[in-house]
Amino acid sequence: MSDSPITLSARGLSLKRGAAPFDQDIRRGEIVGLAGLDGHGQDAFMETLAGLRAPVTGSVTAPLAKGGERAITSFRRAVQSGIAYLPRDRRATGIFPSMSILDNFAIATVGRDRRLGLISPAERRKRYDYYRERLSIVAPEPGRNLITTLSGGNQQKVLLARALAHKPDVLLLNDPTRGVDIATRRVLYSVFRELANEGMALVVLSTEIEEALVLCDRILVFREQELAAPLEGVARSSERIIATMFGRAA
Amino acid sequence: MTVLATSSSAAGRAPALKAIWRQTGFAPILFIILLAINIFINPARFAPSAWGTLIGLAAPLIGAAIASAPAILGGRGGIDISVGPIMGFVNAIVVLVLIQKLGLTSPWIVVGAAVAIGGLVGVLNGFLATILRIQPIVATLGTYLLLVGTTLTILPAPTGTVPVWLKALGGPLSILPLGAVFLIWFGIRRLPYYDHLMAVGSDDRAAYTAGIPVTLVRFLSYVITGVFAGVAGLMMTALIGSADPSIGPTYTLIAISAVALGGVSLAGGRGGLIGAAIGAIDIFLLQSALTYFNFSTFVLQIAYGSILVIAIVLTALQDRWLGRSREAR
Repeated sequence: MSDSPITLSARGLSLKRGAAPFDQDIRRGEIVGLAGLDGHGQDAFMETLAGLRAPVTGSVTAPLAKGGERAITSFRRAVQSGIAYLPRDRRATGIFPSMSILDNFAIATVGRDRRLGLISPAERRKRYDYYRERLSIVAPEPGRNLITTLSGGNQQKVLLARALAHKPDVLLLNDPTRGVDIATRRVLYSVFRELANEGMALVVLSTEIEEALVLCDRILVFREQELAAPLEGVARSSERIIATMFGRAA
Repeated sequence: MTVLATSSSAAGRAPALKAIWRQTGFAPILFIILLAINIFINPARFAPSAWGTLIGLAAPLIGAAIASAPAILGGRGGIDISVGPIMGFVNAIVVLVLIQKLGLTSPWIVVGAAVAIGGLVGVLNGFLATILRIQPIVATLGTYLLLVGTTLTILPAPTGTVPVWLKALGGPLSILPLGAVFLIWFGIRRLPYYDHLMAVGSDDRAAYTAGIPVTLVRFLSYVITGVFAGVAGLMMTALIGSADPSIGPTYTLIAISAVALGGVSLAGGRGGLIGAAIGAIDIFLLQSALTYFNFSTFVLQIAYGSILVIAIVLTALQDRWLGRSREAR
């Protein structure tokens, strides 16, 4: 895994004035978990990777296809560099309650539905159907029904489809299974693994340690706005993570 | 209430009708009732041979309502109250400067100037409201006063005449400028921009995390509003056939009433230009019926106010009601 090409790297990054800076590389095909007590920096780290928050020191860069690298300084830059972000608060920053399921899916990538410059509903439907199949979204009449008619799990799948429609190299997931039922979680986990096998890099912020253990190759534990420990392989255990979260050396 | 009950069952059968109903609220029902009353009391005025003049009479209000809609659709308090003064300013510049002083009467120059003036004021409004982030109502109040003052300075009293072609746009050919505005809007509806505008109006934070350039989308909504207001100013010029500094600004508030009546949510993200146009036609028909009975303009205002409040309450009820039937399904 460690010999795959890097898709996103943080250099000398610190999340708070005076916090110890750290380096991290996210490589193709790996699933990186972020853990920590709420508000201890894992959220800030993810938002910094997405360009939504400026780092206090250091920088986040993505390599360019033609060589060299590009600094991620804004959300627009991140989107252009093939980074997709799935926000945490689905109701406040994810769905458009007054829009249909189909429009909610397509909104971030409407430019791709164009035929001769104009929006083609058939093209949009075709794009949606691909992800509906892939994520097994259960939604009757997506062109007419509002997104709010769906269950939390299916809303989340539509938002995931929206992020995937960018065809990203890096997918940042901020607590993707919050308020999602067990059956849907299993579907999401297998989709995440498939995406990683296809070479996408995933960064998953999880509030459940079990989830991080099941899903992730590498877990970064944060404490007091610093990277307390990157746990890999056999070092990843529930006890180890909890001890690091609370700042007790295990 | 029987009218509502039958229309809802009809809407249940035809999904397209239901969608229109949901978008425009009660304005179409009011439209049919008012049209019937008008035709009954004054058949000559509503005869097909008089349609050109009739549409010409209604056009400035319809144009002002359509112009007000895009900025409102952008949400988060987006509104442009300078639409009326833009119309008055365009009227003054076109008649006084272009036609009277410079003698330029070619349609291309006049229409081009009207669109350019509207667009430039739209750029200014957009800059103030979305880039400097002054609250839209305050920002456009600034442009409102600026334009009213400038118009009165260059044109203290009504004066001037317009060329024949422009006069015709207020009479037999009155459908042309309205048709042009609608064609442009239908074009915009098929562009990615329209989806972005509705998304930004619906929820700007979600739009931002979805990667939509929120500021640019809102900025352009003010430019579109400005351009449409410029065209509405031309429609007004065609109707009154001269330059008059006092008429333009009166359109602002009545246009906003028409937009609200037409089911466009002032919170943004809901409604469309068809609804705004129907709302404007409603107000025009009401005006026409009440004037026929020689009611004073004060009574007219009372009527606008009452209809507006009732229509908005009914739209809110309809929302709740549609929401419930959706849950029940």
